[in-house]
Amino acid sequence: MKRPIDRYVESLLRRRRPADFVPTEDDIAIARAAIDLAAAAPDAQRPREAFVEDLRRRVADRQDAAPEPASAAPRSGGSGSPASAWPLASAWSPAARRIRGRRRFLTATALTATGVVAGVAGVAVDRAVTGSESPATDADQELTPTIGSWQTVAGAADLAEGAVLPFDLGAVSGFLRRASGRVQAVSGICTHQGCRLHLDTPGDGFVCPCHGATFSLSGAPLTRPHGSSPLPALPRLPVRIEGGNVQVYAPNQA
Amino acid sequence: MEQPERFGQPRPLPTAAYPGWEAIYADNIERIYRLMYAKVGNRQDAEDLTSQVFLTALGPLRATASVGEVRSYLLATARTVLAAHWRATLGHQVTVIDVDVVSLEDVSEPGREERAGRTDERIGAILSGLTERHRAILTLRFLRGYSIKAAAAELGVTVANAKVLQHRALRRAAGLDKEGDAS
Repeated sequence: MKRPIDRYVESLLRRRRPADFVPTEDDIAIARAAIDLAAAAPDAQRPREAFVEDLRRRVADRQDAAPEPASAAPRSGGSGSPASAWPLASAWSPAARRIRGRRRFLTATALTATGVVAGVAGVAVDRAVTGSESPATDADQELTPTIGSWQTVAGAADLAEGAVLPFDLGAVSGFLRRASGRVQAVSGICTHQGCRLHLDTPGDGFVCPCHGATFSLSGAPLTRPHGSSPLPALPRLPVRIEGGNVQVYAPNQA
Repeated sequence: MEQPERFGQPRPLPTAAYPGWEAIYADNIERIYRLMYAKVGNRQDAEDLTSQVFLTALGPLRATASVGEVRSYLLATARTVLAAHWRATLGHQVTVIDVDVVSLEDVSEPGREERAGRTDERIGAILSGLTERHRAILTLRFLRGYSIKAAAAELGVTVANAKVLQHRALRRAAGLDKEGDAS
């Protein structure tokens, strides 16, 4: 006796995403009533923290990549449909996309920072990321994925066990640290609003001078500004020891 | 350490501007999510649609747009996103966001717990006009999370009867069956 609408309602009751079907007029009315009821359930009100955080990160990725196009501002005062009044498409101009592409490369590089991967893998990841998102390939062609290189930031001997050293390569700045014999590099830019982090005075964490966010030495977010959603961890940067030097993989300076 | 306080505390006036996209996000994520949940009734879809709204809307937004402008822009985007969702799933606009009626200010503020009144009101509207038993089965199942078995036990009927009862109650709640179709 299971009609598709019953299954639809059952999914809502089980807090699941309902499957598609071709509804009758009655089905639509029933679905509407069931949605209203399901949405009124006491446990259905708040977004999950993890979701809010994850989306924040995705939006951040996009925002960093596309500096706001000054011309693409919503115009106020329009009495017509707001949706058509604002130029959704303008953020996707070729220029903006090119910048997005480059920045994505940086992000991808940072994400592959577990130490295994260097340039080549970075390229592959980048292709995957841009490719999956925009079918247009002109951005890909203009992308210069080999603009990074390993750059020396300190002598390996200068970085004793437990030590933390700041470094600044222009495009990338952060902190080196040697813990349990392994060298780590994390970004030194606060994931809240992009201020440069300071090493805490006892040297056991990073603190943001702007709004007081704090991070552990490994980059995990510890405290965040009041009212802010949870902050992402500091990105790890690819790091290696080569010829007695500590090197970080970073974009070449212009 | 300075004041770890920037946004979220003094409620911005609709004419004020947000300090940046992070503030836009922090202030509106929950509003949009709740709005979407109210329109689709399940978490996964609500999350997907909320993501689409922010990923679409935040790009072209001018940072200096006022809070009111930002909200109405988000709302307009939400309407479009929801419409596309229904087109892609059931092929009918099961629910819509009417930008002339809905306002994001009305969707309760992040972190507030004052929605009980609203919810009661909405539920009241749906359940009013139902018989005692119809109201009971819908309340047990939708609002109190009872399984069909547990609801049947609570009402002292068989599971099969409970299913029928639920189906009829929903039809009635949807305004499909009028008086005289008692179960």
